[in-house]
Amino acid sequence: MAEALASVELEQVEHIHAALVDRITKDELKLPLLPQVATEVLNLTSDPDADMAKLATLIQQDQAIAGQVLKIANSAAYAPRSPIVSMQQAVSWLGMKMLGELALTVSIESGVFRVQGYEPEITSLWRHALASGLYAKEIARQGRHNVEGAFLSGLLHTIGKPVVLQAVLEIQQSLGVTLEWNGFSMLLEVHHVPVGASVVEKWKLPPQVKEAILYFRDYTQSPNPSPVAMVTCLADCMASNLLGLNSLDAAELESLPVVEALNLYSDDMDDLQAQGEKILQAVDAMVV
Amino acid sequence: MSSENHFDILVIGSGPAGQKAAIQGAKAGKRVAIVERDKQVGGACVHHGTIPSKTLRESALNMVRFQRTSNVFDFRLRDDLTVPALIQRLDEVIQAHSTFMAAQLDRNEVKRFHARAKFVSAHEVDFTTPKRMTERYSADVIVIATGSRPRRPDNVPVDHEHILDSDSILSMTYLPKTLTVLGGGVIASEYASFFSLLGVQVTMVDQADRPVKFMDAEITDGFVQAFQATGGRYYGEQKIEDVQWDGLSKVMTRLGNGETLDSEKMLMALGRVANIEDLNLSAVGIEPTPRGLIPVDEFFRTTLPHVYAVGDVIGPPSLASCSMEQGRRAVCHALAIDPGHPAEMVPMGIYTIPEMSSVGITEEEAVSRHGGALVGRSRFQEIARGQISGMTDGLLKLVADSQGKKLLGVHIVGEGATELVHIGQMGLLGQVEIDSFVENIFNFPTMAETYRVAALDIVKQRPR
Repeated sequence: MAEALASVELEQVEHIHAALVDRITKDELKLPLLPQVATEVLNLTSDPDADMAKLATLIQQDQAIAGQVLKIANSAAYAPRSPIVSMQQAVSWLGMKMLGELALTVSIESGVFRVQGYEPEITSLWRHALASGLYAKEIARQGRHNVEGAFLSGLLHTIGKPVVLQAVLEIQQSLGVTLEWNGFSMLLEVHHVPVGASVVEKWKLPPQVKEAILYFRDYTQSPNPSPVAMVTCLADCMASNLLGLNSLDAAELESLPVVEALNLYSDDMDDLQAQGEKILQAVDAMVV
Repeated sequence: MSSENHFDILVIGSGPAGQKAAIQGAKAGKRVAIVERDKQVGGACVHHGTIPSKTLRESALNMVRFQRTSNVFDFRLRDDLTVPALIQRLDEVIQAHSTFMAAQLDRNEVKRFHARAKFVSAHEVDFTTPKRMTERYSADVIVIATGSRPRRPDNVPVDHEHILDSDSILSMTYLPKTLTVLGGGVIASEYASFFSLLGVQVTMVDQADRPVKFMDAEITDGFVQAFQATGGRYYGEQKIEDVQWDGLSKVMTRLGNGETLDSEKMLMALGRVANIEDLNLSAVGIEPTPRGLIPVDEFFRTTLPHVYAVGDVIGPPSLASCSMEQGRRAVCHALAIDPGHPAEMVPMGIYTIPEMSSVGITEEEAVSRHGGALVGRSRFQEIARGQISGMTDGLLKLVADSQGKKLLGVHIVGEGATELVHIGQMGLLGQVEIDSFVENIFNFPTMAETYRVAALDIVKQRPR
């Protein structure tokens, strides 16, 4: 890490790194709770007996979330025939699953992806998470893997980043130092995977989500041969590309080992790349 | 082209047909290559078809076995039962099978490629890898064994999330409460019976009045009864107008009679189509049939004498067992090796729960071909072994000529049917008379006793 951090305040970063490791080792890192609405939405949308009215009522209980969901439902990405003015109308237009997904997304964003003073950076992380979730669905569909679970795995594969960021800010304050974003960025990259895995374990999310977090960077290490880590890996790369966080051209993207591992041929990749605009539109709609 | 890129035999596709073709060529001392579009060898049979579905079947059957011992064990299904838990051995099974097949190809020095193949001339084929790398290869003999995939009718928008096909059905992570199965063929019937036994409320919808129409009606009636006993429903003689996910919580199937069926998920199993699009067959003048199949002669030759086609790409019977034999025979023909007598009869095995199997001709065919038939029946409940094993729902039906002497066909529904049928197959091949099943001794207690009971049933009906 020393070499990579040479350009930033190495000493400060290493202090914070050590303090962070100490907190993680002693299990003293503050992990966020899964927002209450998200927990209930998850329970409700996985219950085949649940009805639409219940979901609408549940979302309405949190006005901030309800407002954001309505705003998204009215955006161009979801193209309503007429303005959506009520949650009941949103449920019937978007569908229970889609609305549940939206409510879950919004509540995670408001509960976890909020760090005062770092709004642009957090927004960038959030946009990447959203794009990864949406790409993961399309990649899973293309490869005949589980589509329903792919979104959540893609959305949450970097959930550790805002949590680590929050912890670094606290440590920074206690040490009386101030890092540049580069320093934060390095620490996030180093720590977000184990922290994210702990978060989703605490939230009791399906084991595939934890697997995606732990192994999306090196899916070959996954003890479980399920494709979720590979799907998330490619979704992460395609999302980064879509949002300009890296700049691989089509050929470079197709030559990624994960593309071959998922057995995607050039026409499959063309189909996925063609989804970019739609995904970008959905991301823009979901970022408030 | 370098000699490195030239092979005596090139096989396109590594499913059952392709593998056997490649192995036969290698055993004959030829330089053979096999090209597969998937990462692993085995084709749909291993990765989406036979092996995965049978692994799920085994789990469903284990449940039945447990339920039979409910007086001993306190058994009930977990509420949070997941599909991956039911097929948890699947990855191991697939990996083991695929590794075994790859090792067999390697041992026989068959050169393996992971790429899509496309004809550029009668003897030349381009291989394109997922990384867009293209290289040209040539061969004296080319065997097309690219298999098939689920058909996608325009009025059924398969999204692999709510409306699934047989390639994606096992990607579900949980068991739905309700499932509509479109189709009444082998795949539809197999999955419908598995999911019904696992507690899913299944409705099969098809145009035919009964499922698996090519089987004897009494046998499929037995299957439908067993399916209904687990809560399933067969809804025959129905036209499917359209299908849509309502965006809320259900898949809606609108039928020709105006009725709409709702279900949480759908399995679309309305047939399969041959994988021929990528092959660029027009470049070599091979014209597919109107049904999209590759036409072949009795030796599996296409219109090009050195290009053969085997397996699902040539159409029925589309059974792994037959495809393997087609692959072997095609290469034998290409190399002028005597392949032996062609199989006179192919047993049909359907792995529904309960299994259905048959060999030879049906009662209907016997009447039309031989002017009459005597039919002997044996119900599993009459057999000691059936009672001991708790396999009392089953029927074995022997079809004989009108004199009740000559065995013409065997049809079975019940657990173990796909094994039990082989006794009848050997009897048919050896032209064994009905009396042989009465006069010879079988182990007791065994299900083979059904043959004796059915034969006795024929004997007592003989004209005096």
